[in-house]
Amino acid sequence: MSKPFLTLYCLIIYAFLLAPIAVVVIASFNSGAFLTFPPQGFSFRWYVVFFNNEVFMRAIRTSLWIAAVTMVISGIIGTMAAMFHVQYAGRLKEAVRVAMLAPLLLPEVLTAIALLFFVYSVGIGTQTMFGMIVGHVLITLPFVFINVSASMESYDPSWSMAAQSLGAGRFTRFRRIMLPLIKPGVIGGCLFAFIISFDIFTISFMLKGVGMSTLPIQLFDYLRTNFTPEAAAVSTCSIVLTMAVVIISEKVLGLRIHRF
Amino acid sequence: MNAAPAGKGLGPLLLIAPAAVLIGLFLVLPYLNIVVMSFRMPGQGTPYAPGFTFGNYGKFFADSFYILQVVNTLWIGFLTTFLCLVLGYPVAWQLARGNSAFRAVGYGLVLSPLLVGIVIRSYGWTILLGNNGIINRTLSNWGIIDAPLPLMYNALGIVIALVHVFLPFMILPIMSAIQGIDPSLESAARSLGASKVTSFRRITLPLSLPGIQAGCILVFVLSLSAYVTPSLIGGLRVKTMAVTVVDALIDTFQWPFGSALALMLSITGAVVVVAFGRLTVMKWKV
Repeated sequence: MSKPFLTLYCLIIYAFLLAPIAVVVIASFNSGAFLTFPPQGFSFRWYVVFFNNEVFMRAIRTSLWIAAVTMVISGIIGTMAAMFHVQYAGRLKEAVRVAMLAPLLLPEVLTAIALLFFVYSVGIGTQTMFGMIVGHVLITLPFVFINVSASMESYDPSWSMAAQSLGAGRFTRFRRIMLPLIKPGVIGGCLFAFIISFDIFTISFMLKGVGMSTLPIQLFDYLRTNFTPEAAAVSTCSIVLTMAVVIISEKVLGLRIHRF
Repeated sequence: MNAAPAGKGLGPLLLIAPAAVLIGLFLVLPYLNIVVMSFRMPGQGTPYAPGFTFGNYGKFFADSFYILQVVNTLWIGFLTTFLCLVLGYPVAWQLARGNSAFRAVGYGLVLSPLLVGIVIRSYGWTILLGNNGIINRTLSNWGIIDAPLPLMYNALGIVIALVHVFLPFMILPIMSAIQGIDPSLESAARSLGASKVTSFRRITLPLSLPGIQAGCILVFVLSLSAYVTPSLIGGLRVKTMAVTVVDALIDTFQWPFGSALALMLSITGAVVVVAFGRLTVMKWKV
């Protein structure tokens, strides 16, 4: 392929990738009930409808709450596992990595089914958020693990040894030497866990109890029967929220999030 | 890292303990439990009854509906994977070899859809493809069509949306594979008289094969197990296996049968993936 042709081709693919997202955002500001090209006029009416819809507002609160809890649990467990992986795993290093990435490699729908049966078999059920949060932690754990491991690869164990020889205990060594150095990886991993958790659908869908819909579930249920652009307003707010987290982490905190 | 710092004994194991418990107890055990569940007796009013049976698998093989659905799901998976490969390869090449300003922006554009939830991206496609969607409304406003084109509620719509959703998962592994190829190999081939096409066919393509394999397997597995996109785009008319499985579990509580369906789909998918791995290795070794 010649150069200009290849560039044009790539631009078309990028447009294809962004089209459905752009369309959702445009539809949310469209005054009519159906989006046509060109749009019928600019209006905030669907946002007003959305902000007055207690069902969606409650779903957003539930989602934020679950994402925050998931982020904390996943952040702690994932960071500990990454420390073990990089510093102590030895010959088991590859095995630990594969096990930690397993939730990412297995189909989410199977994991959701497996967890659903399991929480019922052991008598926990879905009356509480337990099953859903376990699922979210499982799915987000690999992202914390990847980010923290990446930032830890450049950590020199002799720094810990130096601190130890100066009399620092195990916890002091972690808090004063290692944590400040791996902080970008930890924060990046945690933010990513938050974003992923906020968007998880299948796990939440299978493990939700009565009256604890997250935003993606509520949106999905709504879309099965309705087609008004209120859903577009909800989606746009969700996109803006995610983008804000990414931009804050990249521009303000100067983090580079490792996805793979 | 060989030089492990002080802290021998049980200390380090405590670091991995929570993750090990989490994955062992809530991932490995539940997966094994699916296999057990698929042999349980179907229940009346309860998800399952005591006792074991092969009946759930019998029900699968006795009804051509389910077998056809597996075939249909595999077909959608093949088509999605093939289209992702064909559409994604040039982009991956451009991201790996193009000029750097374009590359950074392109990389961001490929990654950013992954940050938007799957429900929202599928919803975007319903706005585009629906009978009252942008494409159909605009075309009929312009007087080009009389009746809406059937873009949604069929396999075509599902494949279009799945290609969109999984394209980044094809582009990224191929991109890193091409980045790993020494550009001087291509220059060497050209200086020895190979045409651009020959150099691509004999050097770049075979060397990027690991990336192609990884991307294809990833996209294929993700397409087979996708739930949200086929469910929203296919509606009630076209169902993939994953949608049938989830509905069997959520709506009708047929847990043993749902497990058998899920396992049959997983086994078929695994067989295809292994066969694909074997085939591509053999083909390129010759």
